[in-house]
Amino acid sequence: MIGGETVMSQEIGQPVVEMKNIVKRFGTVEALRGVDFTVEKGKVHALIGDNGAGKSTLIKVLTGVHTPSSGEIYFEGKKVTISSPADARALGIETCYQDLALIPLMSIWRNFFLGREIYTNLGPVKWLHRQEMQRLCCDALSDIGIEIRSARDKVGKMSGGERQSIAIGRAIYFGAKLLILDEPTSALSVAETRKVLNYIENAKAQGLPVILITHNVSHIYLVSDYYTIIRQGCKVGTYQKGELTQEDIADLITGTREA
Amino acid sequence: MKPIAHLRNRLSNFPEVVALISFLLVFLFFAIKAENFLSLVSLTNILSIASIKGIFVIGVAILMISGEFDLSVGSTLAVAAYIFALTIENGMSVLLALLLALIVSALLGLINGLIVTKARIPSFIATLGTMMAYRGIARALGGGDFARFTGEKPYLFKILNGEINFINQLGTPAGSARMTIIWFVIIVIIASIVMTRTRYGSWVYATGGNREAALAQGVRTNRVIITNFVLTAVLAGLAGLVQFASRPSVDPLRGEGWELIAVASCVIGGIWLKGGYGTIIGAAIGIILLQMVEQGLILIGVDVQLFQATIGLILILAVISNNYLSRQ
Repeated sequence: MIGGETVMSQEIGQPVVEMKNIVKRFGTVEALRGVDFTVEKGKVHALIGDNGAGKSTLIKVLTGVHTPSSGEIYFEGKKVTISSPADARALGIETCYQDLALIPLMSIWRNFFLGREIYTNLGPVKWLHRQEMQRLCCDALSDIGIEIRSARDKVGKMSGGERQSIAIGRAIYFGAKLLILDEPTSALSVAETRKVLNYIENAKAQGLPVILITHNVSHIYLVSDYYTIIRQGCKVGTYQKGELTQEDIADLITGTREA
Repeated sequence: MKPIAHLRNRLSNFPEVVALISFLLVFLFFAIKAENFLSLVSLTNILSIASIKGIFVIGVAILMISGEFDLSVGSTLAVAAYIFALTIENGMSVLLALLLALIVSALLGLINGLIVTKARIPSFIATLGTMMAYRGIARALGGGDFARFTGEKPYLFKILNGEINFINQLGTPAGSARMTIIWFVIIVIIASIVMTRTRYGSWVYATGGNREAALAQGVRTNRVIITNFVLTAVLAGLAGLVQFASRPSVDPLRGEGWELIAVASCVIGGIWLKGGYGTIIGAAIGIILLQMVEQGLILIGVDVQLFQATIGLILILAVISNNYLSRQ
């Protein structure tokens, strides 16, 4: 079994996070002009926008990298102040940035358990349970359909898709309540993209809500339940799967069409 | 070409492999070319000197794996040696003097760590500054002159760096194995265990490998860096005291240039300058290799001036080979 809680079916659809009227100014530049954004349990929610539209700023507000100029954030119904990445993590918000999630020179198991190692205290020394962590890491990854040759392999030798899978597997194993993936499929081959989308489906099946940040809608179109489109610091709208075609979304991103 | 790629892949799990092969080649070369190279006195001499520098190198190696480096260690060594010399010459108990010298070393390391992490100055610049500042402190302590200990050598000196007689008497002429070899071996073993078996070791590699990612996973990278600067300075101070224990005088230039020898040892040993990769054993092999080259060149009668040129050449060849093996 995988660590973390299983979401009851009646909970699916309850909001896990609600961001209300978020404004973020950098000096005189208004990067976010009062954006509402809600993610529901057990759903995959794509956050789409062109470069500089404000989607990354919105996520950085949610993950504690930026403090909002005004606005409120509710996590599982409770109002929260997220003032550092550690705060976000303590709430169960896991973010996987394409290049920032893993350490290529280190082995898979060390990456998997980094910052959450299993150890015994021998005086001031924290003695690692290496075998146990290697085994748990293999098991946890195989539970979500990721087979690795050895947990001792270096992450740097893996493909981009495999790296994403490790980051996703780690988030699920440690009981994340919300998983944020930043451009998960950019720089991946078609086959690799398909695999990563599979892992996202698996994460969703575990009841884990996922936010996908992207400017390329074609990859994530099928896997997403909702699409929220951001343009020039404002929310264009949130749409359910099936409401829009890929072309509609592309038009809304660029502003060729108004909502 | 597949078998070669496979071999490269396997070897990249052993960052010290180039150092080890170079070590064996250089050893063979001198064993054949240099008369008396294989004598007890020659081999023990190499090990004894390499071990003093080695204690110093291990700190630099751990720091470099965490992605930082320290140019001020040579000056720290001199400060520690002066404090030790002056306090025992003025009648302080040797053990207290040793503790005092190491505490001051730790403080100098702490200053480095705080400048790098809090003022966010690259360690190259920060420790270039403190290298000069600490050298100034060492000169001021000694009034620009030598400091000597003239009394009877206390027992602690023998523990720190006394001769190991049962080894030295194994041959004629007698060897020159000193206690520092034992200390060096102990430090290498402890450091290797810490780096591979403890959470701290993992965090050191993570800090050097990808600081942002490590931070995002909850690794306290600044604390790792500050700790490593302190550790490096304490080991540098200890090297200064061990050196002083065998020949109890210290001069204003003590330790100068050692910081670069240490960097060279680490890089030859397979540690990446930008951090995240390499082993303690590699750095240890690196410093013994350099000491062996120095001794070997003297034995075959090559001008000592060529020593630095040879070191430079080995350094560059080792880095090229290391890059070839570890490139991913």
